[in-house]
Amino acid sequence: MLEALEIMLWPLLACLLLPGLLVYLGLHIVQREIIFVDLALAQVAALGTCLGILMHYEASSWESYLLSLAFTFVGAGIFTLTRTKSHRVPQEALIGIVYVVTAALGILLLSRSPEGNEELRRTLIGEVLLVTPQQVLRTFALYVVIGCIHWFARKKFLAISFEPERAAAEGLSIRWWDFVFYALFGWVVTSFVQIGGVLLVFSFLIVPAVCANFLAERQGIKLLIGWATATVASVAGLYASYVLDLPTGAAIVCALGLALILALLAASFRPGKVL
Amino acid sequence: MKSYLRFILIPLLAAPALAKLNVVATTPDLGAIAHAIGGDQIELATLAKPTEDPHFVDAKPSFIVKLNHADVLLEGGAELEAGWLTPLLEGARNPRLEAGKPGRVSAAEGVALLEVPTALDRSQGDIHASGNPHYLADPLNAKIVAAHLARTLAELDEKSAPAFQASLKKFDDELEAKLAEWQKLVAPYAGRPLVTYHNYWIYFGRRFNWPMELFLEPKPGIPPTPAHLASVIGKMKAGNLKLVTVQPYQNRKTAETVASHTDALVLDFPSFPGGKGTEGYLEWMDFLVKSTVAGFEKTH
Repeated sequence: MLEALEIMLWPLLACLLLPGLLVYLGLHIVQREIIFVDLALAQVAALGTCLGILMHYEASSWESYLLSLAFTFVGAGIFTLTRTKSHRVPQEALIGIVYVVTAALGILLLSRSPEGNEELRRTLIGEVLLVTPQQVLRTFALYVVIGCIHWFARKKFLAISFEPERAAAEGLSIRWWDFVFYALFGWVVTSFVQIGGVLLVFSFLIVPAVCANFLAERQGIKLLIGWATATVASVAGLYASYVLDLPTGAAIVCALGLALILALLAASFRPGKVL
Repeated sequence: MKSYLRFILIPLLAAPALAKLNVVATTPDLGAIAHAIGGDQIELATLAKPTEDPHFVDAKPSFIVKLNHADVLLEGGAELEAGWLTPLLEGARNPRLEAGKPGRVSAAEGVALLEVPTALDRSQGDIHASGNPHYLADPLNAKIVAAHLARTLAELDEKSAPAFQASLKKFDDELEAKLAEWQKLVAPYAGRPLVTYHNYWIYFGRRFNWPMELFLEPKPGIPPTPAHLASVIGKMKAGNLKLVTVQPYQNRKTAETVASHTDALVLDFPSFPGGKGTEGYLEWMDFLVKSTVAGFEKTH
């Protein structure tokens, strides 16, 4: 047990400290019905990294990081402009298109680089097992800052996600706050993709939020349920990964999937059930 | 918190070594040599699977545990495992395996590496600064590595030193006998070139006098492109090249397409010992030599 802790300490800390903000943002994302925006933004950021690799910067260098961040902000701009009320073209369709086109562009760019395939794979599955203390602490510091921004501007962010019509009627600039939301969101997502990969970041965003939506109505309760789900599934996934010697990120994703099944079962016994 | 945990945990984990040395080999070819030398006197663990690309190996928790317990780490060196071994070692925090410690065996030491670049330029593909790291495909290099490992094991476990020396002599004798046999087998096909997917078999080709200068990859590590494959097909037709080798993690379809345009034969080259009938190093080398010779016979 002690040895398990010694080896899994930093992956564990990463999975306890970092999903806090992801779960909260996940509630926004599920409410806005733009489930795949995180995949698309992660892919846009990865395109920046690909370009960096092609310019012979190491994938972990600050030049590469700045490039991926710049691409993320461009992506945030695109999603801000494509939020429409028209249901003839749902935003999810545009998000999907951004995802596949940036993924294809990444393949084109990396076909010129020897490290290409490895980098694409790493973006997908990440290396949460090999996370370094510096990575965890740096990302946590960033999340604390972004979490504070979200706390101080929570009324505005909640308004544009949950009651956009009322927010517009009250004169709130939806475009501006949408852009801030997406830019910060993209920053959070791409930082975690460096650690856990796209599959894990998607799971931490969406699964706890969906579980919470099955089990509760009030925002505060939803957040608590989401945090609890993320924490329990992380510990279970890391433990299974250690005991059964499984790839760590995938084990956590499957533990979150299991949590969703349990939440569904619990929800079916609730009065006034959602299903 | 970290230093506090280390204070408690490291002494617990670094329990006094039992009678047998714990040896970790990064790739199965090194593992096979370690098994030949260490035999029952060592506890051996190999990290990469025989079918895996040794440049990219997926980390699992057990790798860190094994590295944490290891007395000896046998690595290929020459940057072969640079991408994945370093973070694993950081996670394992094993002072016995630090660079320069006797327990850290870089097998490339003492081996004359080929293709050492004069200038490092990423535009030339995935090249290694210290030279081509796939040197164990030459049996004489395996001898060098076996001797290096036997020295290290004898230093760390003096009690078993005679056994290691005896195993080394047995390995060397068998290898020399086999080599003479292989040289006879390959003699009729001396100088016949082969096409390979990646620039992987250059040491093998040099030992048995089979030039390998045509690759399906345009540059090392860069996936084959249509234009490059067309030029390979042209060169194969012009030079009457009839054998294309492919490794388990490479795209066999690419090799098959090229072969179908040139009436060539695709040879499956296992990158490492460990497949069926090729558990040991010599069995693996035997398989490579004999399947190449059989390929030449068939396409004669």
